[in-house]
Amino acid sequence: MMKNLLGAILLVFMFSNLSIAQTQTVTGTVISAEDNMPLPGVNVRVQGSTTGAITDLDGQYSIQAAPDQTLIFSFVGFNTQEALVGNRTRVDITMELDAKTLSEVVVVGYGTTNRRDLTGSVGSVRGEDIARLPMASIDNALQGRAAGVFVQSPSGTPGAGITMQIRGNTSLSASSEPLYVIDGIPIISEDLSGLFSGGQATNSLADINPADIESIEILKDASAAAIYGSRGANGVVLITTKRGKAGEAKIDINGFYGVQNVTNKIDMHNSSEFLRLMDDAAFQDNRDLGTNYGENYVTNIWGFDPDDPSLQNTRWYDEIFKEAPIQSYDISVSGGNDKTQYYSSLAYFNQEGVQIGTGFERISARLNLDTRVNDWLKVGTNMSLNRTIQDRTINDNSLYGVVINTLAGDPLMPVREEDGAYADPFDYFGWWMLDNPVLIAENYYRFTRTNRALATVYADIQLAKGLSFRSTMSIDYTDLEDESYTPIISRESINGNFNGQGTYGNTQDFTWLAENYLTYTTSFGDGKHNVNAVLGNSYQASNRNFASIVAQGFPSDQFTKLAVAAQVTAGSTSGTNWGLTSYFFRGNYSYADKFLFTFTGRADGSSRFGDNFRFGFFPSGSVAYRLSEEGFMQDQSLISDLKVRASYGVTGNQDGIGNFASRGLFGVGAYRQTPSLVPTQLSNSNLTWESTVQSNVGIDFGFLGDRITLTADYFVKTTEDLLLNRLIPGVSGFKFVTENIGRVENRGLELALGGTILTGPLNWTSSFNISWIRNKVLELEVDDQILSDSHILSTGHPIGTFFLIDHEGVDPQTGNMNWVDLNGDGAINSADRRIVGNAQPDYFGGWDNRLNYKGFDLNLFFQFTVGNDIFNHSRASYENLGWSRIGPGFPLPDGNNHTLADRRWREPGDITDIPRASLNNLNWREYSSRWLEDGSFLRLKLLTLGYNFPQTIVSNIGIRSLRVFVQGQNLFTITNYTGLDPEVSQNARDPRLAGSDFGTMPQLRSYSLGFNIGL
Amino acid sequence: MKKIFILFVSFLTVSSCNILEPDPLTSLDANEALVDGASANAILLGAYSRMQNIYYYGLEYVLNNDLIADNAVYQGFFDNQLEIDQRAVPFTNLFVTQAWPNIYRVISIANLLISEAPGIEDPLFSNRDRVIGEAHAIRALAYFDLLRLYGEFYDPSSRFGLPLFLEPIENNDFNLIPNLPRSTVAETYNQILSDLNEGISRLEGFNDRGRVNFWAALSLRARISLYQENYTQAFQDADRVISEGPFSLLDNVFDIYEATEPTAESIFEVEYNDQDQSSFNTYIIRRDEYNVDTDLLEAFEEGDDRAELFSFSRNANRSSKYPDNTNANNAKVFRLAELYFIRSEAAVFRDNNPNAGTEDLNMIRSRAGLGDLGNFASINDYIDALLQERRVELNYEGHRFYDLVRFDKIDEVLGMPDFRKVFPIPRDELQVSDGILEQNPGYEGI
Repeated sequence: MMKNLLGAILLVFMFSNLSIAQTQTVTGTVISAEDNMPLPGVNVRVQGSTTGAITDLDGQYSIQAAPDQTLIFSFVGFNTQEALVGNRTRVDITMELDAKTLSEVVVVGYGTTNRRDLTGSVGSVRGEDIARLPMASIDNALQGRAAGVFVQSPSGTPGAGITMQIRGNTSLSASSEPLYVIDGIPIISEDLSGLFSGGQATNSLADINPADIESIEILKDASAAAIYGSRGANGVVLITTKRGKAGEAKIDINGFYGVQNVTNKIDMHNSSEFLRLMDDAAFQDNRDLGTNYGENYVTNIWGFDPDDPSLQNTRWYDEIFKEAPIQSYDISVSGGNDKTQYYSSLAYFNQEGVQIGTGFERISARLNLDTRVNDWLKVGTNMSLNRTIQDRTINDNSLYGVVINTLAGDPLMPVREEDGAYADPFDYFGWWMLDNPVLIAENYYRFTRTNRALATVYADIQLAKGLSFRSTMSIDYTDLEDESYTPIISRESINGNFNGQGTYGNTQDFTWLAENYLTYTTSFGDGKHNVNAVLGNSYQASNRNFASIVAQGFPSDQFTKLAVAAQVTAGSTSGTNWGLTSYFFRGNYSYADKFLFTFTGRADGSSRFGDNFRFGFFPSGSVAYRLSEEGFMQDQSLISDLKVRASYGVTGNQDGIGNFASRGLFGVGAYRQTPSLVPTQLSNSNLTWESTVQSNVGIDFGFLGDRITLTADYFVKTTEDLLLNRLIPGVSGFKFVTENIGRVENRGLELALGGTILTGPLNWTSSFNISWIRNKVLELEVDDQILSDSHILSTGHPIGTFFLIDHEGVDPQTGNMNWVDLNGDGAINSADRRIVGNAQPDYFGGWDNRLNYKGFDLNLFFQFTVGNDIFNHSRASYENLGWSRIGPGFPLPDGNNHTLADRRWREPGDITDIPRASLNNLNWREYSSRWLEDGSFLRLKLLTLGYNFPQTIVSNIGIRSLRVFVQGQNLFTITNYTGLDPEVSQNARDPRLAGSDFGTMPQLRSYSLGFNIGL
Repeated sequence: MKKIFILFVSFLTVSSCNILEPDPLTSLDANEALVDGASANAILLGAYSRMQNIYYYGLEYVLNNDLIADNAVYQGFFDNQLEIDQRAVPFTNLFVTQAWPNIYRVISIANLLISEAPGIEDPLFSNRDRVIGEAHAIRALAYFDLLRLYGEFYDPSSRFGLPLFLEPIENNDFNLIPNLPRSTVAETYNQILSDLNEGISRLEGFNDRGRVNFWAALSLRARISLYQENYTQAFQDADRVISEGPFSLLDNVFDIYEATEPTAESIFEVEYNDQDQSSFNTYIIRRDEYNVDTDLLEAFEEGDDRAELFSFSRNANRSSKYPDNTNANNAKVFRLAELYFIRSEAAVFRDNNPNAGTEDLNMIRSRAGLGDLGNFASINDYIDALLQERRVELNYEGHRFYDLVRFDKIDEVLGMPDFRKVFPIPRDELQVSDGILEQNPGYEGI
């Protein structure tokens, strides 16, 4: 075969050059001491000569050497070894890991490297740290684990969407989310569900089984992320799944079972307190406004006595939240021989929601296979198939949400009437409640069923020594089904008189990816010069189709399928697609392990952009200098490693805009059931990439033999040509066009400190990370864009800035709010809003502690966020203080108040932050800074206590290992935030509207018991 | 073998790469939209699709007029309607912000047809003249509706008319949108009437009640003439619609509202059906933003059938004018009853005789089961009666506030300052115009 021919030519070539000594052919295999696997790419040299070779994929080499010569074997991350040839023709070598580098292999795009050789900024999380947490998705588990990575789980809904920002909000368009790459496939990570569920996104990352994950790398700076070019601006999360290793088959069985509760419930008034507050409101109005309400005005109209001990007293939060089980079981089998290795797994996860009517279930299977076909070809495949079922109610910001209808729930209203029927809020005294929340939770259905397949087939071809070619074809296929049902007995159906409404939706996304790249590794000059280069191309294309049907008129709530509905009121299908063509290059050069250089470039062409600017080029460069290799550093033992790094580069973003955002479009409408054509979008042929210029300087310290490590990075990230809707003159018939509208900056400092605090029988390792990130809009085409009722975009201020009606406290004399009438027109309304805060934290981080004593292990993980504001919109409802929408003389407040209302103003001279009660709305403005609060918190995110049974015991029962553990999640939270939970954002994935809490599901506290068995 | 393998792999991946030019599956490139008679007709229908918008005839343009006046009260949730109900509409108000571009969208469709339809080469484009005429009439309606909202329509000498944009945007490119100042009210009326006359001249014989037909165009001219106090013209047009048009008052007032299709009384309705819904029923019955003001209920005389067009649920009075729960009731832009009112008012003011229009008022009263009105001692008495008759007949159809403005009664009836006769120009529009577009007087500092 060709390979032999090539080898023969090389041999001839070598013979012709080396005729000095009596040489002989020496062959051998180099294996790694760590796993006894062959080591490819090892540099083999004859000492004092230019003769060299590199081991092939099987770790084999062949070299010409004389008996008195010494062979030197060197490889990054391993101790260099020497061997005298002597009279041997075969020299096999086992290479030991270089303890100094701890040999941490880091996955980077299109290859791996050693952490020691990194010039960019990459955070790593080990799969085992996050494999079996009581959370549905891996992104959730990354919270607090890496510096510079801000993860928020905006809702406690099982399987809900997560927001992750790597080094701040770089983008104003809907996506500041990083690119997720699983085993080389940039996956679809957006919410594909078309189901209206009130702001609770689904999470396509919840389709991945966390137990399959070997490691997660977070590419943060431009140097690391530029290999993903146009999609790297928000950072890249590389997820690598487990693979088999040669050796005996290993079977691992793991599981846990736990119970969950909400972290917090709002402490509400009881019925008697509710009634008294209402009478107080009338009393206060008489005094302040000169109204003439009688004594006990409200309770008399309503017909109640606050002192009646038999008053109904419903605690609404207790009615919608319950204790709910969570369980997870997985089994994996892995192993293989030196030709073929396999990893296969099956996992089941089931989380019932603490709110009635919610839940998340996942079944997943995986097979990762690698096989060596012959000496130049290795092929393999990763395949996973997952099915998830997410059960939601409507929630968060929507009229018929469960939590939102609970907010100010009238305690005088029972859940059910004596005859068993659900109580109707319109028979009671809360205007806010539109429907009985227990009815909604128990009778509305919102199912999303997702079948997802991720598959890759690859071939690795050894073209020549040091030169390999890899080709992959991958598929990311999602078939998602949405089903919902609005019951006949619901208010929504009764008011609309539609007798039950059912919807069915389907989304299919088929994304394929083809990638080819060459990798070349060489070393010369006695191994001082090391070069590694990657060159390749990538094609990715996606096709997405949607279908939906809405029908109403159901015979009874026992039937929820559309077949029985009397009338189909809407039905449609549509589709869309996009494509990306890319070419990429990366070159690494290192000199004597001391100077390291990386250059990366990627050119991307995207179907989303205008003809003029379709292709973008995203280069980056970085250097590192390891001072600890210098002579002057060798005489001390304090500093064991010291490396300074600097990088600069450009990455891009194309997400968050429509697939056809640059084109002028006419869409199809209808008038009287005849199709019509309507202009839907103006064109912008100059539309181009959003690009982020990032510079980063970093320093890596190792102290005392790397017992303590410190990594610090400072970065400045400036995003140019922000993609966003730009306001345009309305005479065009449009308000917006997608345009490159401005610049935003993030600068920040990240520190990660890790170390072994105690060694010996009690071993304590700890890692701490903290990040300070400042976000600021630098420039906008149209400044001061009001984005919503509560948010604005303004230069000089961060993304997520609150724009609200402001106040200057409570007037001690009248008890009324001192509203700021900004325009002085005498009316307090949306024209009086001003900037009052923002949702960006001052700093955030995590602290992870691991203690081992004999067979016991203890893990304590804290997480904190400090300095962000939360617009506690929910308070507008449960701190109504009596404000009533008086219909025909009938006071009807939003409903009950939380107990914080006891702090309200009562008598002239009272100094307090909560105004007087009133039936009037003069102290109540929905979008006002009255509800703005500090969202800082410190939380014990995770506590795990495990016990490993001693080897003597486990081998007696014939197993490899056995561990049992208890785990607690969110055990305590320290915060001044008065809402359900400080981790909120009702607009889960839109950073511009971050930090609003409106009927959001709280986070969960859970206790679980689990086991890990190795067979 | 290795070579073949590599070639095969490369072929597989590289051959499949025309992926940068996907076609939108549910849209057309704007430059290829208007190509023949069929597409011209589809785009014309598109103007109606845009009139159905929630900020236009789909809900808010109609009902916010009753809300800011004394027909409806807000008890609901959205600040948008709260601000309107409070009669202190800020320039950031959502309706104010959205109605402007949405009504201009209808105009932009008309602009395209008026400028391009004459040049389309298509021998099968047989109704070209009507398409162009209809586009002119639609543009007149949209500009007039905008003028009533944002311009000082009641003052012919005012310079606060509208920016008049009459051309399609070249290449649909947003960079080519002109930054237009406001034309005067007189110029705006001139443009509206010129479009309307063009439309009327081309629409004769076109009677479709779901479209701006010949009679709708005449009715619009009658209404505009009345607003302009051109009573001769108003009388003439209203009289022609009443006497020559194929319309008649329904005997039973409830039938007007039960219907989900145009009735014999309809001149022009923006039509809806269960597949293509308005928002009237949702907002009136299921939500609380447009509850009935008790002041309106008290305005009805004993025995008035129309007092039965209300219901009471969830602690609030609700209008029953849009009863269909699939939101299939149409928006009544012109119906015959209004033409009687126009003819009555025009007669009184043309002849300066308070009793010249009583017969027309009585037509509407008797249909509702009420007796005839007596003699009016003065024009002012007549005005009071006219406003009362218009209110009980046309409530929840988008007339009340304009009527009070026309007769300069917003201070007396609603307690509103004079400058609030018109809504403010939206903040967003001022922001993008760099001072070219002027705010309405009185709103500058707000």
